[in-house]
Amino acid sequence: MSRLRLGLELDGSSRGRQVCDVVQALARAATVRGALLVAPDGFAIAAEVPPTVAIEPLAALAATLGRDLEVGASRLGRGAFQTAMFSSDDGTLFLAASCIGFMVALAEPQGSVQAIRGALEEAVTAIDSSWASSAPAATAT
Amino acid sequence: MSVVFQRLWRPGFSRREPTAAELFGHADRLRRAGRYAEAAELVSRGLDQDPASVTGHLLAAYLHVARRTMEPAKQEFRWVLARDASHPRALLGLARIALEEGDIDGGREALARALRAYPDFPEAQALLEGLATRRPARPPGRPRLDRLRLPAAARALLILAGDGSVLAARPEGASEQGLRLARTVSLAAATMKRAGLGPLRRGIVADDDAVHILRADVTITLAVMLPRTTRITQGLLEVNRLWAAAQHELAVAKNEVVEAAAPADAGRVS
Repeated sequence: MSRLRLGLELDGSSRGRQVCDVVQALARAATVRGALLVAPDGFAIAAEVPPTVAIEPLAALAATLGRDLEVGASRLGRGAFQTAMFSSDDGTLFLAASCIGFMVALAEPQGSVQAIRGALEEAVTAIDSSWASSAPAATAT
Repeated sequence: MSVVFQRLWRPGFSRREPTAAELFGHADRLRRAGRYAEAAELVSRGLDQDPASVTGHLLAAYLHVARRTMEPAKQEFRWVLARDASHPRALLGLARIALEEGDIDGGREALARALRAYPDFPEAQALLEGLATRRPARPPGRPRLDRLRLPAAARALLILAGDGSVLAARPEGASEQGLRLARTVSLAAATMKRAGLGPLRRGIVADDDAVHILRADVTITLAVMLPRTTRITQGLLEVNRLWAAAQHELAVAKNEVVEAAAPADAGRVS
């Protein structure tokens, strides 16, 4: 059982659908339990996770962890943060930076790290290329 | 006029400028879809119409955070708090920025304020968990971690006690990163808990220049920085070797403490 939540349910744009497809595809990869894309401000853009997982607190923490890793890398002059993997005896959490936020994958402990990292990188590339090709230039207030 | 035509012909409705509230509503939907630039344009138009809108300024703050521009985000969150001192979302936003800036106490205080006003605020509760000071757990004695042999390619080694204090650092300047590592480990552990995973055991963090590999248990966290070109399997082997050596030194130190505590004549046959 899994849930799907998409921020732009009302928009129905091709990019909105693409984000949904990318997150779904990652969540359905072998040995992956769930996936979500969170904005740097801590909101879940799209999520497909087991029903036992509360999305909002996980998104807030994942975004804070992602920003912590980004800021840490840039402060030490090591360039941009790319990916992180944290594991326990019960499973593994993968996190990667994209242009609109952080992609997170939750995987079974016996999952292939290489395969899941590959799937995560593919997901990030799909989102980044979609956004880079169509994002209009505008400034925040 | 037919009903269908009446529905289509609504010049008064279709030509009017959207209200600030409509602009903010649409901007929020775009923001939640990651379409920050389009959302920012609508927020800007909305604030032109209604410069004193709390919703507008809050959205502007979110968009600055989403685009990683923290100074203007802080100003916007503060603008909101100047009008509503216990606004939970503004407090959460400021707390997250404080954490990024290394101001743990400031972040904790903002989260506590948000939870005082709104005790049922799952995001604030989760972040506060991520900042929880770990149980003071220092290994007994003085483990000789200086005896650990680093891999030739290693750029830095950091070993933290369970309470986050630095037990060993190489080179010496690496100890300055102890606080940051402790926070990262704490946030990662809290994120894993919320994801339904168990206690953090291993981590690999890669950036453009380096790969950091860590192992952790309740007693210590050991982290090694290696060049980005290092093969992960090789890095893991090196960290496992260091971990075993560190555990050996901890056991030796513990034995020394036990022996020192034992009475001098204990075990003597009279």
